[in-house]
Amino acid sequence: MSSTTMAVQIEGLEKRFGAVHALRGLDLAVPTGQVTGFLGPNGSGKTTTIRILLGLLRADGGHVALLGGDPWADAVRLHRRIAYVPGDVTLWPNLTGGEAIDILCRLSGPLDPKRKQAMLDRFELDPTKKARTYSKGNRQKVALVAALASDAELLLLDEPTSGLDPLMEAAFTESIREVKGQGRSVLLSSHIFAEVEKLADRVTIIREGVTVESGTIAELRHLTRTQVTTVLEGGTVGLAALPGVHDLAVIDKHVTFAVEEAALPQVLSAVAALGPRTLVANPPSLEELFLRHYGDELAALAAGSEK
Amino acid sequence: MTTTAVVRQHRVAAPATRSASDSLAGTGAMVRLIVRRNRVRLAVWFVVLVGMLSYVASYYKELFPTQQSLDDFAAVSDTPGIKALTGLSPAANTFGGAVWTKGWMTIALGLAIGVVFLVTRNGRADEEVGRTELLRSRMLGVHAYAVASWLVNGALCVAIGVGVALVSIGQGLDPEGAGIAGSLVMGASVIGVGLFGLGLGAVAGQVASTARGANALGSSVLVGFYVLRMVGDLGNGALTWASPIGWGQRMEPFGANRWWPFALLVVLAAALLALAVWIEAKRDHGAGLVAERPGRSWAPKRFASPLGLGLRLQRGPIIGWSIAVVLAAMMFGSVIEAMTDLLADADGDAATSFIRGNGVQALLSMLASMIGLVTAIFATQSAVSLRSDEAGGMVEPQLAGALSRTRWALQRLLIPVVGSAVLLLVGGAILGAVYGSTVDDPSQAGTMAGAALAYWPAVLVLIGVAVALFGWAPRVAVPVTWGVMAAMWFATMLGEVFGLPTWFLDAMPFAAVPYLPLEAMSWIPLGILTAVAGALVWTGIDRFTRRDVQPA
Repeated sequence: MSSTTMAVQIEGLEKRFGAVHALRGLDLAVPTGQVTGFLGPNGSGKTTTIRILLGLLRADGGHVALLGGDPWADAVRLHRRIAYVPGDVTLWPNLTGGEAIDILCRLSGPLDPKRKQAMLDRFELDPTKKARTYSKGNRQKVALVAALASDAELLLLDEPTSGLDPLMEAAFTESIREVKGQGRSVLLSSHIFAEVEKLADRVTIIREGVTVESGTIAELRHLTRTQVTTVLEGGTVGLAALPGVHDLAVIDKHVTFAVEEAALPQVLSAVAALGPRTLVANPPSLEELFLRHYGDELAALAAGSEK
Repeated sequence: MTTTAVVRQHRVAAPATRSASDSLAGTGAMVRLIVRRNRVRLAVWFVVLVGMLSYVASYYKELFPTQQSLDDFAAVSDTPGIKALTGLSPAANTFGGAVWTKGWMTIALGLAIGVVFLVTRNGRADEEVGRTELLRSRMLGVHAYAVASWLVNGALCVAIGVGVALVSIGQGLDPEGAGIAGSLVMGASVIGVGLFGLGLGAVAGQVASTARGANALGSSVLVGFYVLRMVGDLGNGALTWASPIGWGQRMEPFGANRWWPFALLVVLAAALLALAVWIEAKRDHGAGLVAERPGRSWAPKRFASPLGLGLRLQRGPIIGWSIAVVLAAMMFGSVIEAMTDLLADADGDAATSFIRGNGVQALLSMLASMIGLVTAIFATQSAVSLRSDEAGGMVEPQLAGALSRTRWALQRLLIPVVGSAVLLLVGGAILGAVYGSTVDDPSQAGTMAGAALAYWPAVLVLIGVAVALFGWAPRVAVPVTWGVMAAMWFATMLGEVFGLPTWFLDAMPFAAVPYLPLEAMSWIPLGILTAVAGALVWTGIDRFTRRDVQPA
């Protein structure tokens, strides 16, 4: 038994749809008892990966283990131990939300009416309304309640909060913390950086079907730069030439620049010599990490708009 | 166990197979869900189809009280029209045979088409919108949902077949002294054709990636087999055996009482279901057999107009119905001459008034009306898209642009209006040309083009009904328009022999059209139909410009 068991372990995953090469050797790990954030722009393969984990799509290559089993061959048995929330929930228009929740929950085992009620209360969902009358946010709540009312070991969440208002997002955050507190695992695919930053222990960033970065948020911060804003009385002589300093901008005495983590001690002592009056240093946010990996796309966009 | 060991153990490179018991997990729960969602539909199909047989039987019991009257019926029914549309029972001079001749084809074909649509609704349609994905994320086997749907629809087929047999026994359709053998064969033949529809729907739902595509595929194959047996019944009967619908016909209840074609139907249905299971086990969820191909990254300018966009969106149906009309016209045209001998024999002293006449002219008139009816389906499908585009929310972004509702509706209506005229002309002309080439009479092309085009005003009335309902009753417009369409088909093909009230039949747009070339041309009804159609379209569009835009 290794020290950390993995709820999900994917190595070199490949998937083609006709001529489209959707996944090109993707790696992803979800350690047991942790929340793993799964980031990537639209169309990068997040949903395809999750649908392979659900046994809905068949992998064309690579290794996939879900709770120690094969998600395609053992789909039914594994599904007793997982819960899934899609980003776009479609329900039976002529059934009520409560009926839909019961149908989904009973497929995976006995229904716990108390937990269902607790989740209905938390997400303020009226289960007596027909699904056709629900807004997008309310349909999303149906899937969330059905998933959270179970005692699944692993939750696969594909942009689960799309369409939820901020109060409900807070209820979602609380629920995921409870899930984590009970030692269960979560794969959280999302576009909302604040949400992932708040909840995730680890983050995997993918792009065009390949993993470009993976690790704890602290680890990933090592890879990027701290943003420094300061007011310098003594000018900026020599600062730009220091190794590890980037994007230096000066307006009057206001100076902003980015600095690599390894260069921070030298740069700060140079700054101290220049007589700083204020100094603010921000660690990179997840958003900046993300943007860094898609920076060349942004550059291409900017170049396109300049034409 | 280390994680790497876990990973190696489940290499995807050697595709793992799913266990059979797993693949059906949750079937029972899905059966309950499908029954719950479809209870009204299932009940309606049962009541309509079994009730239809009950109605025909009691009506015919009254109409043909003596053996002499049944013999007369058999004689006058021996026409190409009856053979083509419903098939003719070899025992048409018995009470059961007479009822079979009138009711069986409608019931069996109706059940098969109904089952295709129900299988799509509880299969590909759910998968397309993502409901099945949510279920499959739970403990639901890969085939459980499909198998549950097949069980429910198979039960519907059996229930309707048993209902048919019971009605037949209750009404005493079997000849005296023959027991209930004929009733049982009739019930089984309905079950057999229904199960064939089930297998067809199941495969269509695996091959096509959209519900619309699955319905189109399944029903067009059924219609193809119907036409195949039609040509077979009009000829020497060989082609009838090429069609599973023909197998059901050839069970010949109250006549030969054959059971073995039933076995053929069951084996074919089982083979189709096995094929569907095989495809479902291999394919990705949400995919059909053909992967989506990338299209062009830009749109031509014409797509910015409602007409241009409508033509692009309805390209599939437009091409499909054009091919259907051309093929049907060629097939119809090619069998007429071969039948002239048969017609000469049958053209004796048997009354000609009962089935709207006999002889080549009557056959040509009947085939022209068939082309009219097929065109009417295309026109209806295109006209109801006004409402389906509104219900799907597709019209809102268009109307948010600089586009008036009237202009949008009128341009979209050009497609069914002009399209139906073209289909009628082309269909009639090909029918006439193919027939004319066999009898060295080139003028037939023009004559038959005109005979078919005479149905244009009647088709316009159907378009008018669709538009008026779209304006005034949008929520029910689509099903009610199709209901009117189905009622008109039914009344035109079978109304007189079903003994429906004359006023009702005369109210049908198709009945008002002169029965060319058998009857003389008459412009007044065509003028009235055109005026009615114009008024219906006007009121529908006028109402649409005043009411709320209502998504479903």
